[in-house]
Amino acid sequence: MNLETLRAVVDCLIPRDAFPGAYETGVCDYLVTLLATDLKNEAEFFSTGLDAIEGEAHARFGKSFVNLLSDQQTGVLESIENGDLRTNWPVSPQRFFDMLVRTTAEGFYSDPQQGGNRGSVSWVMTGFEDPNS
Amino acid sequence: MREYDAIIIGSGAAGGIVACVLAEAGKHVLLVERGPSLSFADVGRDHLRNQRLAIYGHNAGPELRGNPRVFVDPEGRSRIVKPHELDYHNNAACVGGGTRVYGAQAWRFHPDDFRMATKYGVPGGSSLADWPITYETLEPFYERAEWELGAAGDGSPINHEIPRRRNYPLPPVPPSPQTEALLRGAGRLGWITSPVPLLINTQPYQNRAACVQCKYCVGFACPTDAKNGTQNTVIPRALATGNCELQTGAVVISIDLDGRGAVNGVTYFASTNSDTQQIQARAKVVIVSGGAIESARLLLNSTSKYHPHGLGNEHDQVGRNLQGHLYPRAYGLADTRVFNGVGPGVTIATTQFNHDNPGIVGGGMLADDFIKPPIDFWYDSLPPDLPRWGLANKQFMRDNFTRVMHVRGPVQDIPNPDGRVTVDKTVRDKWGIPVARLSGTTHPATVDAAEFMRERGEEWLCASGCEKVWSTQPGLILSGRQHQAGTCRMGKDPRMSVTNEWGRVHGHDNLFVVDGSLHVTNGGFNPVLTIMALAFRSAEYIARAF
Repeated sequence: MNLETLRAVVDCLIPRDAFPGAYETGVCDYLVTLLATDLKNEAEFFSTGLDAIEGEAHARFGKSFVNLLSDQQTGVLESIENGDLRTNWPVSPQRFFDMLVRTTAEGFYSDPQQGGNRGSVSWVMTGFEDPNS
Repeated sequence: MREYDAIIIGSGAAGGIVACVLAEAGKHVLLVERGPSLSFADVGRDHLRNQRLAIYGHNAGPELRGNPRVFVDPEGRSRIVKPHELDYHNNAACVGGGTRVYGAQAWRFHPDDFRMATKYGVPGGSSLADWPITYETLEPFYERAEWELGAAGDGSPINHEIPRRRNYPLPPVPPSPQTEALLRGAGRLGWITSPVPLLINTQPYQNRAACVQCKYCVGFACPTDAKNGTQNTVIPRALATGNCELQTGAVVISIDLDGRGAVNGVTYFASTNSDTQQIQARAKVVIVSGGAIESARLLLNSTSKYHPHGLGNEHDQVGRNLQGHLYPRAYGLADTRVFNGVGPGVTIATTQFNHDNPGIVGGGMLADDFIKPPIDFWYDSLPPDLPRWGLANKQFMRDNFTRVMHVRGPVQDIPNPDGRVTVDKTVRDKWGIPVARLSGTTHPATVDAAEFMRERGEEWLCASGCEKVWSTQPGLILSGRQHQAGTCRMGKDPRMSVTNEWGRVHGHDNLFVVDGSLHVTNGGFNPVLTIMALAFRSAEYIARAF
């Protein structure tokens, strides 16, 4: 699996602002574990989808996804979500993108024991946990 | 051969109570449970694998492997489903059953819930019927469930609708900022509200501690054992008598008959870590308390030359009328923080719309909700016009997790005989037993009521000062799930029901069903207290008769 692309993609889905973005909180670790356990039958599907994102970036900008400007990255993902594709996808782009968005949110917002949400950062961000208690 | 006075199959909300009443009456009881006894640590706090949000697994059984069901969608396509999938309509498989991990809302049904056909007439295509008993008959047993398990609440605001002789033994959960807002909104609308009754120790009760207001009621186990299921109340009482044997890890294959076709016991697989044995046990009376899907499955799988279509199924009634609840959900964005992190989170309800709604059959209760973990909120509660990713999504979670108000409630299911449990002809579980096959939907009248209640939810949130309101309503689906009921309903006419008012299966002297299967209708309320009240009533009858 292309971990460099994955890192850039999850940070585009849940970007850094005053609070950390997805990668910094461990979402890639969450995804790698999930794709080796509960979703192991989907690992190849997922990896193929990531490569297809990379292909879209090259078709649009002649660059790797990780080297695009933030707005360009967002544009590539929006196009995929809307079915506006420049390349032939070997997997369903809708199904892949839906899985990507859901699993990234799971890593960011679920319990830290799963690998993401390090330091319960999203729970403090949302107010689910009071950092002073 | 093991011999008992009574064998009870299933240790959930009903089975645990029947075991307690019979054991305390001096009967020698075998309580059979297919799952294990689960500790607090066993249940855990996995936000993605629990009974409320079961994305990759769940935490109260049954195991994902070897326990399939078959689900038939409304278009007639069938597929095999695993226990954590929504279409499996799981409840739980452990000591205490669903009560091990439930939210523990302790509602009584409304008196009109027992006479739906008389009150509304029978909609075309529905099997709507009156109960063979009234609210007044069940009232003392509701009281018994509230006091013997331990319920918190205040029934006085709605005593004119759902009369009671005695209030709850414990005071209600404290109000939150959301409660105050919803109370103001209800006041503007002229709606009556009440606290939400819960089987939770708001104060120490029966030698167990009080609730510590953590955020993990529904879907999880309680850290201080202050949530009252059967596993920490009536089952320990049953075991303390010395008259009750609890056999966990025991999967019943069939209900057995003697040479004349009368029930005389059960055959089950009993597993330990090292081996599995097939055991026959004999008893004067057998009580099936496996929940609406598994109880029906066991009766249908218990075929013989005397009963070729299964026990109690001479008139093709076992497994029909599977019902639960549709849950309309409404959300509103408040202008201030309404979340204070104090569990359980559910505090205020209105029963204003359970009945007498123009053009609607039935209706339902509306209440605020248990605290949702953030991933649950992300899946369930975001506005439909919000982007699903990017900075806008993250910032909505950041700014509004504590400002979104939640209103939802169970809508009275109008039963459809085609919403049903049968047994699949080809798919078997790991024991080789044919599995449950679920098909059909609720009746369209239920969807009309759900739509009406969705609108009431939005109305309440608007009146409570929300600047933006959104909602969902599930549409025409099969509605069993954790509130599953109705598959062996009680009644006077054996052609239209499976048991009599005591849960005794028509045509049998010593075979009973006691669980949500008995519900003729399932109320516009969480059904567990009604399951418990019926269990106390049936158990007293069985204790007298055997």
